[in-house]
Amino acid sequence: MTDEGDKSQGMKVMGVLDIQNMPCARESILHGAGGSLVVGIVHFLATSRVKRSFDVGVAGFMLTTLGSWFYCRYNNAKLRVQQRMIQDGLKNKLIYEGTNLDPTRKKTGDQ
Amino acid sequence: MAHPTQLGFQDAASPVMEELLHFHDHALMIVFLISALVLYIIVAMVSTKLTNKFILDSQEIEIVWTILPAVILVMIALPSLRILYLMDEINDPHLTIKAMGHQWYWSYEYTDYENLNFDAYMVPTQDLTPGQFRLLETDHRVVIPVESPIRILVSAEDVLHSWAVPSMGVKMDAVPGRLNQTALLASRPGVYYGQCSEICGANHSFMPIVIEAVPLPHFETWSANQLDFA
Repeated sequence: MTDEGDKSQGMKVMGVLDIQNMPCARESILHGAGGSLVVGIVHFLATSRVKRSFDVGVAGFMLTTLGSWFYCRYNNAKLRVQQRMIQDGLKNKLIYEGTNLDPTRKKTGDQ
Repeated sequence: MAHPTQLGFQDAASPVMEELLHFHDHALMIVFLISALVLYIIVAMVSTKLTNKFILDSQEIEIVWTILPAVILVMIALPSLRILYLMDEINDPHLTIKAMGHQWYWSYEYTDYENLNFDAYMVPTQDLTPGQFRLLETDHRVVIPVESPIRILVSAEDVLHSWAVPSMGVKMDAVPGRLNQTALLASRPGVYYGQCSEICGANHSFMPIVIEAVPLPHFETWSANQLDFA
């Protein structure tokens, strides 16, 4: 009941970064955590150095999160552009249907 | 609209503001990651056992900490420039509204078809009705049609002002003797508040802006009624 309104608020880091509702944020953090774990454990198994492996794990977290974030946000931006083009196309179709400005109208040779 | 203890942006009411929000999320995520890394490095340096005190340089890490920040900066700059040019795209406005700044109110002119002019004064606190917002309400709202590109021409009659509506990502300085232009497109119906954003005297904080975005038929009815009253 009272939780329904709270769902949309999400988890906000420092009150501004809404990780739960921001596109790509949750996936990037999870990829980063997984990458950090893998890289850190592999380094430890190879070298048996705890502190250095921890450092490598943190570096792995940074690089994996950033890489996943950039890739996902780039695709998300392309999707938003396509979404906007589709919306504009639908709007123009509705407004101009049957007129000379109809975007789906085939141009004839004599016009 | 704004609410107490708010830290982030208001919800977007225009496509430009949506893009700005996305870009802000992008930049903020990068900033938080870098800050987390710096914090970790500080803790690691403070807790070190002070071994390896005589290392003078390391080519590998210096290459990493030169190239990686450059890559990050490029990944921030590319969407930033995209939005910059997106905001300057040439559009075909359906309506032109002039917003003139005075001490201390805004006056609006809809002169495309008929001469429709009105002033917008802040509603004093003692005159507010329940549900109205203190220091934000005006006696006359700028009514615009939804989903229509609108040209706003901003100027001032006396001193510098600035016409700003945060939820639409719009801010334009009102300079006496100069006509500044900005574009506006309301994505959804609603009431959007802004405040004068350039210090202009004693009542600078008391000359707000209220935009009411309505469907086109409602806008036509409103403008016809306004002309009848005039």
